[in-house]
Amino acid sequence: MTILVARVKEFQRHPRLLALPAAAGLAIALAACGSSGSPSAKPTGAAHSHPHSAPVHAAKPSAQTPNPIPQGNSGDHDADNNGGPSDGDGNI
Amino acid sequence: MSARIWRRGRYALAVVAAAAAIAVTVVAFALPGPSPRGAFPVLHAAAAPAGWRHLGLPNGAAVLSYPPSLRPVAGDKDAVSAARLSRAGAFQLYLNATPRQGAERLRNWAAFRLRLLRSDDAVSAREVAAAQGLRFRGGTGSCVIDGYVTRIGAHHYDEIACLVQGRTSASVIVGAAPAAAWTRARPLLLRAVAAYLVG
Repeated sequence: MTILVARVKEFQRHPRLLALPAAAGLAIALAACGSSGSPSAKPTGAAHSHPHSAPVHAAKPSAQTPNPIPQGNSGDHDADNNGGPSDGDGNI
Repeated sequence: MSARIWRRGRYALAVVAAAAAIAVTVVAFALPGPSPRGAFPVLHAAAAPAGWRHLGLPNGAAVLSYPPSLRPVAGDKDAVSAARLSRAGAFQLYLNATPRQGAERLRNWAAFRLRLLRSDDAVSAREVAAAQGLRFRGGTGSCVIDGYVTRIGAHHYDEIACLVQGRTSASVIVGAAPAAAWTRARPLLLRAVAAYLVG
């Protein structure tokens, strides 16, 4: 209790001290807002919704397509036959 | 005097407690949580930003736009690709456009793409989100966002792949990035998809 009264007196003498905890809390809040790398973040001019967009359900695994392109720098020699991202070919 | 000090002290403590409570609440809401799955991001067809470059499909069916940080890379002779590679040659960003070649159709695109990945390049593939009836510049498309692991090198990629039907022809646009970089890459890839022009 004595300590509390002493600190209150300290606040009375230096009212600006009251602002320090509040400023710290505000700084934490602003820092948290500024650092949130949300996956939904969009760049300038990013895509917007289209009312005709219709979500579809997850695809079920199905039988493999025939004649897969050989991997290991074979087939059509695409990057995707060497561990790179898959291109948009129809596998024919 | 003592009572006044006590009242002011309580007031000061209340102010501090309120500030702390606000900070904790804001931090709790700002921290990234699990992202919702199954919701397809919004797309709005629009011309590419100034400074982007363009690659036309050899058959004239579509034009792929890509940011200047990417460079054209080799691929199928009837397709066009652009990528950003690391110094070690690893793909950091990848864009590709290819004329429709197989049995892919707008209504079965997501299933077709995942089936193709599993049968060709990938040991596993999972759908994240899909949508149909998306408007593109010059056409309509179906898109899927998925993640897969390559047979060669076990590389994890996330991608958005769209089959787009124009007035006279259909083609596929793919935007991909390593799964670890997907969150950062996705806005740029979506922008490239939104700028895809079909004829």
